[in-house]
Formats: sequence, C-alpha cells, structure tokens
Amino acid sequence: MKDMIHGSGDVHAAARMYARECTEGKLSRREFLTRATALGVAVPTAYGLLGLAAPEAQAQTPMMGGTLRMQMSIKAQRDPRTWDWSELANACRGWLEYLVDYQRDGTLTPVLLESWEASEDAKTYTLHIRPGVKWNNGDDLTAAHIAHNFERWCDASVEGNSMATRMGSLVEDGAVRAGGLEVVDDLTLRVNLAQPDIALMVSIADYPAAVVHPAFTGDDPVANPIGTGPYLPTSYEPGIGATVVRNADHTWWNEGNGAWLDQIEFVDLGTDPAAWIAAAEAGEIDLNYQAQGDIIDIFDAIGMPRSEAVTAATIAVRFNQDSEPYNNRDVRRALQMAVNNAIVLELGYNDLGTVAENHHVCPIHPEYAQLPALSVDGAAARAAVEAAGLGDYEFELISIDEPWQAETCDAVAAQVRDAGINIARTILPGATFWNDWTKYPWSATEWNMRPLGVQVLNLAYRSGVPWNETAFSNAEFDGLLDQANGIADADARRTVMQRLEEIMQEEGVMIQPYWRSIFRNARPDVHGAEMHPTFVVDYVNYWKS
Amino acid sequence: MLLFLLRRIGVMFVTALCLTLVVFYLTNLPAKLETLAKTQAGSRMTDEEVARWIDRNGYGSPVLVRYGEWLGVLPGWVREADDGTVTGRCVALRDDPAAAGTRCGLLQGEWGFSTRFRDEVASVIGARLGATGLLMMWVLIVMVPMALLVGVLAGMREGSRTDRTLSTFAIATTATPEYVSGVLFIALLASSTVGLSPLLVSWGWIDGPVLFQGNARSALDTITLSNFTLPVLTIALYGMGYVARITRASMTEVMTQQYIRTARLKGVSFANIVLKHALRNALIAPFTVIMLQIPWLLNGVVISEVLFSYPGFGWTLYEAAVNNDIELLLASSVVAVIVVLVTQLMSDIGYVYLNPRIRIS
Repeated sequence: MKDMIHGSGDVHAAARMYARECTEGKLSRREFLTRATALGVAVPTAYGLLGLAAPEAQAQTPMMGGTLRMQMSIKAQRDPRTWDWSELANACRGWLEYLVDYQRDGTLTPVLLESWEASEDAKTYTLHIRPGVKWNNGDDLTAAHIAHNFERWCDASVEGNSMATRMGSLVEDGAVRAGGLEVVDDLTLRVNLAQPDIALMVSIADYPAAVVHPAFTGDDPVANPIGTGPYLPTSYEPGIGATVVRNADHTWWNEGNGAWLDQIEFVDLGTDPAAWIAAAEAGEIDLNYQAQGDIIDIFDAIGMPRSEAVTAATIAVRFNQDSEPYNNRDVRRALQMAVNNAIVLELGYNDLGTVAENHHVCPIHPEYAQLPALSVDGAAARAAVEAAGLGDYEFELISIDEPWQAETCDAVAAQVRDAGINIARTILPGATFWNDWTKYPWSATEWNMRPLGVQVLNLAYRSGVPWNETAFSNAEFDGLLDQANGIADADARRTVMQRLEEIMQEEGVMIQPYWRSIFRNARPDVHGAEMHPTFVVDYVNYWKS
Repeated sequence: MLLFLLRRIGVMFVTALCLTLVVFYLTNLPAKLETLAKTQAGSRMTDEEVARWIDRNGYGSPVLVRYGEWLGVLPGWVREADDGTVTGRCVALRDDPAAAGTRCGLLQGEWGFSTRFRDEVASVIGARLGATGLLMMWVLIVMVPMALLVGVLAGMREGSRTDRTLSTFAIATTATPEYVSGVLFIALLASSTVGLSPLLVSWGWIDGPVLFQGNARSALDTITLSNFTLPVLTIALYGMGYVARITRASMTEVMTQQYIRTARLKGVSFANIVLKHALRNALIAPFTVIMLQIPWLLNGVVISEVLFSYPGFGWTLYEAAVNNDIELLLASSVVAVIVVLVTQLMSDIGYVYLNPRIRIS
C-alpha cells in the first residue's frame, strides 16, 4: 500500500522520532499510536513504523441484522456543539459522523477525512476530505461544509458552545480568526492556527464535534437528521428511549464495513442501577452504558461479562482558591498531605483504577513525567492547619449523590478526620449539584479523559477559562502551558510538563486520588461493543451473533 | 344538586389557582431557573451565559407577569433579535411568527411546552395519564375485590381465628410502604440469582430466567402478566390493607345491630344474614374510603412507577420535578387537583345512593 493515501508521501518527522522512542521503550505503544496518528500518520503506517502489522479490526466476520437494546440515558437533544453529555452524541452517531474517531487503542482513525498533515510547528493543518461522501439528502460533502463546521465550533456567542474552548487558537473575538480557514479546493481545507496546537485533531474527535450539514440551523439533530451516516432516528423520547434504524435510502460511504445492525434501541431506565439490573434480568436490555462499583459484579453474575477500558478519567476533589479558607496554599497542601490516594482508590472505587498524583496528568498521556512519590503525613497536616489558625474550623466537602463519587469523598473525609482535622460531608442531588459546580469551596468533580495531557490543563486550570473550577490562576503555569501546546516533540514537551505537574502539586490545587477504569457489561452475543475510554457508543460497528 | 355541583367546581378552580401559583413561584426561584438553563443549554455554562439564556428565553420578566402569561390573561413575551427574527412564547407554541404578542395560556387551551420532554405538555400529560390509567385500573381490579373479601370475612365474626389472621395480614400490608414492598418483590420474584426464580428454574417450572419482570418498561407496548404483576401488586397491597380494615370495622359494627340479631333469632342462615342483610350497610363506609384512596394511590404511583421505570403520570411528575420542568409541573398539579376533587364528588354522589338518609341539597 502506498503512503499516498494520506496526501503526502512523507511521514511527519516527529512521528519517526516517536517510533524510535517507542522501540527504545521510552514510549508505550498506546502513547506512540495516539501521538503519531494525531500528526496525520495513517494507522497502518504508524504500526508499520514499529515494524508491526495493524491488528485486524474484527477477529470474526460480523453478521448482518438484528436489534440491539442498550440501557443509556436519553436527554433532550440540542445543538451538537453545546453537548455536555456523551450520551447526547452517542444517540446521534448513526447519522452524524466525525472528521476523525478516537479508537479504543488510542489511535485516531480518519472518518470523513481521508488523511491530514500537520506542519512542523503544529500551526498549520491540511485536511483532506474523503471523496465520495454523500449526505443523506443527496448533497456531496465538500471542504466548504467542513469549513462551515469549524465556523460553528468557533462561535463563542452561542451559550454553552464547548467547542469554542477546544478550538482555542483558531478563535479570535468569539469567532474564527481572519485567515484561519482556507478552502484550498473542493476536498482540501487548510486550518491556520494563531498558536501551535497539538491537540487540534483529538479535539475534533471529541463528542461535540459532530459534523452537521450547512442546512442544520435548529437545535435538534433528531428532528432534522441530515448526516452522512448509515442510520436514521425513528423515535427519540427523553427519559424513555430512542430508536435508530438503518437508512435504506442512503448509500453510506463505508458500505460493507459497518452498519451491521438493523435497529438499535436505547432504553432510558433512570439513574438507579437496580432498575438496569431488573431490566437485564427481564431480558429487556443486551448491554448497559456503564456499570460502576458492585453493579459490575452483579451484571457479571447474571451472564453479562464486563469489558474494561483504562482511562485518564478521574475525580478531582478540588479546592476553590477564591473561597475561604482555601485561598491559603498551606491549608490546601495540608489537606492533600492528610490523604493517602491509594486508600481512597481502595475504599472509594474498589481498586478499579490506578493511583494518581494530584496533578491531573495521567501515565497514559504521552507527555506524562514521573514525579517523586507524594508524602502522606497526618500529624504534619494537622500542625499546618493549626498554624493557619484553623484548628477548630470545620471543613466541608461537597459531592454529588452518585455512589462512587460520594464514597470517594467519604474516604477522603475519613482520612482528614483521622489526621485530627474537623470535616463535614455534604451530598447534593444531581439536579442541584451542577448549578454551582465551579463555585463550591471544596467539592469533587468528575472529569472525563482527554487523549493528551495538555488538554485538560488547557480546559480546567488555565487562568479564567470557563471550566476553571479551582480558580487557579498562575502566570508561570499559563506561560508554560502555551509553550507545551506548541511542542510536538514528546521529550521536549515532557520537560515542560514536568514543571507544570510540579506547579500543580506545589500550589495544592486538588486532591486527585485515582484514574478510573471504566466498565460496561454486555451479553456474550453482542460484539464490538466493548467499553470505550471516552464513552463512545459507535453502534455503527456493533453486531450481534 | 346543581348548586352543589357548581359550588364544588368553583372550589376546584380556586384550589387549582392557589396550587399553581405556589408551584409557579417555587419553580421560578432564581436558583431553579439556573438549574433549568443549565439542563437546557449545557450544565457547564458560565454565569453570563446563564443570564443571557434566561433573558433570551423569556424567563426574565417578573414572576407574576409570567404566571399571567401561563394563565393566558396577559400576552406572551416577545423578543426581536438583531437580525429581525422574532421569538416569543406564542411563536414557539403555535409555530407561527404572527402569533407574537397574542395571549396563549391555559385559558386559550395552551398547556405550554415541556422542557424536559421537548414536547407539548398536553400530549405528554395525555400519553402519561393514559399509561397511569391502565395501571390504576388494574390496581383497582385487584385491590377492591380483595379488600372487600378480606374485610367482610374478617368482620363476620369479630375475634375469631379467621378475623385475627386476616387482620394481621391487612395490617402488615398497609404498614409496608411501596418502596419497601416493591424492593422486596423484586428481590423475591424478579431476580435470577436470589429469591424464588432460581428455585423455580431448577425445578423446571418456568421457562425464562425470572418469574416476573422487575421492570415494567415493556408494559408501555404490551401489558403482560409478567411485566405488570409486580407494579400492580405493589400499589394494590398497600391500599388493600387499609380498605380491608375499614370494611372489617364497618362489618363488625353492622353485625352487632339489632336487626341482625332479630334475623338470627328468626333462624335465617348465616350466609343469608351476611349477604342479604349486612353487606349493603357495611359497604357504605368502604365506598367513601375507596374513592378517597384513588388520589392517595397517586402517591404510590409516583414511587412504584419510578421504581419499575413505568413512564406514567407519577414518573412524569418525578421527572418534571427533578428537571424543574415548570409548565409540566403546573399541568401535573392541575391534573392532581382535578383527580382529587372529582373523586370526592363521585364519593359524595355515590353516598346518596348507598345511604338513603343522606341527601344533597
């Protein structure tokens, strides 16, 4: 096979370097694949750089037909760029496709793109649109359509448009920067960024980046389902369920490589896992969306084995530095010191993950730098709290009422209490918790994974960004982060990242106890539906035997 | 009679008005509107975005004005965007830009729009009430005959062994709330690993993995013994015990009356005494209680519909409350008021036929 399939015969220099690092053992294969494919290297080529053949996608030949019933929460739809739950995207994945997909193994697969290249400085991206893709209204997919989508993503005047933050260096004054998008020809689009951004490709693989037709104006992709994918929605009732069936009137660009199922039914059974189990026992669902804690074992026991995805998803038991007494760095560090993260993982999450180090960069992130182990010292924590004049102060730790999050906070609070510090726990229902999630003085927030370490730091810890729940504002940190965003080379970025991680720890930003593995249970006759690290339900590739 | 009916209906209107005003006020507290904005447009919005959303979607005007809009006594809000597109309450409801600025509330027959279900409130409530109607019908079919039978059997001979056994049963069921009995039933009858089902499977008595389904979602399409038994039983048992106790008390009282003693002395058989002489008089009190029990059952419906994820009226009420779906909650409260007062009306009128001494003036 020629390398020409992705436009240019040259493999990005950094990708060759990553391959060297990987064979030298400096990089794990997963990290290598994420980084190499983000630079525009096709998956088989990336495997080839390691001297390996790309693994076969399916060991068995998929079978056509069948109806799959999945437990998943169905929420009222809205404009894709404002999606705040993966479930909203998952329901629409049958007709709204993405430019690229993030795979379970950490690679990026081109979908509506055929290939892409990044310039050496990671400031210019050339996107080659897949030829022959048709919308289900008969139009051809063109570069202008993709440019229109980039414009939508960059429109910060739309309330809740989370793509605007992801597009970071393409946005100026709440819209696309002048000269940011260049339609080279019908099938080529060039994206010119103001600053280098190595996360652009993984950002457009994220769930709110669904590609919509220029005719889409409303806020409901179900009522107006123009898309490129092989399915169409036939019903969508929030809180009850949704049905998606194969679109017989549309020739899908990837005909024959997916769309096995005739019909997918999503069943919304509420938030109580007991109801999911009852439905599974009654034979009303074939798989669940995500199982947690003891529920995983119960599903195992009733004949629905689990699949696991190791992720950089986590819980941040963070302090808000605008609030008393957490504006005092010594207090934050003392509370961190009182807590042994390994114990939190064991008690709060049944040991279903790996211990984290309070800086929100995961070992599976390419640029992760190892720091010295954290020290735990209850007595020193107590002394520091007393020194801050808070010996009698009662701290309050807030969490949502979801079991694993509440238990995690309970485990944190118990250790703080053991250190001789007064602490109270407050559990808020989900309906009220999210009202003030960025403002609670001390609370726990669930964070889904992002493929690159710099991404979450950009989203949550840069000064003044909307999702900055810690009110963390540090000029050195922001400067280093800008620098890291432009370094394609892993080792060079890692040295910057090491300092970023150190700042996070020195400033006592949060207690970030563990990285979660996530689980899904499915009947043995369901295939291709293994848990995905970013909760993607790509039912186009699911099949039943 | 007519005057009585008119007065009752008047009371109904006043009650509904007061209740909706309270609900409207509570669901329109600033914090609640913020919840609404965040569930509608993104849970991780900033404060400015929330304020902009509230303003743009017509939640910015004073509470009483918006209550008036909902009632239909004031014209709905209108907003013109910079590019000339007109949005407004009536534009969205009637899907017609020309309707901007007209009145479109309850008085005009517009129940509003459900933000949770993205649908007209009237069609949501209609569909869900239908589902609950079916559930309630089966509950009453199971509950009433069972309760009357248990009550009459227990009350025939006060203090007998039958009386003691049945009374214990009745007290036990009525003392067990739905959220306890429902969970017990699921554990005992609807689990493939614990309770009765694995036993029955190993004996080869049932084909499926479980005896009954612990989830009634499929009952929305077709009601079967398997998927509807547990929710019906859960609600029916709770009401059953209470009605049975009332029937028993009424029956024992009747059985001590002079005319029953006279009948006995004349040598009328016990069966005849119970069926011909005692029963009608003994049923007056339970009739009222059954009628009052219907709105009371609506409580149980909320719990068991959520427990068995059966999307009926109770489930809708729960979802509306959790998601601060203002107009759906208002419509639900109006429906609740109507159900309560209509059943009371029916019990008052029915009473007249059962007890000739009472007359509605």
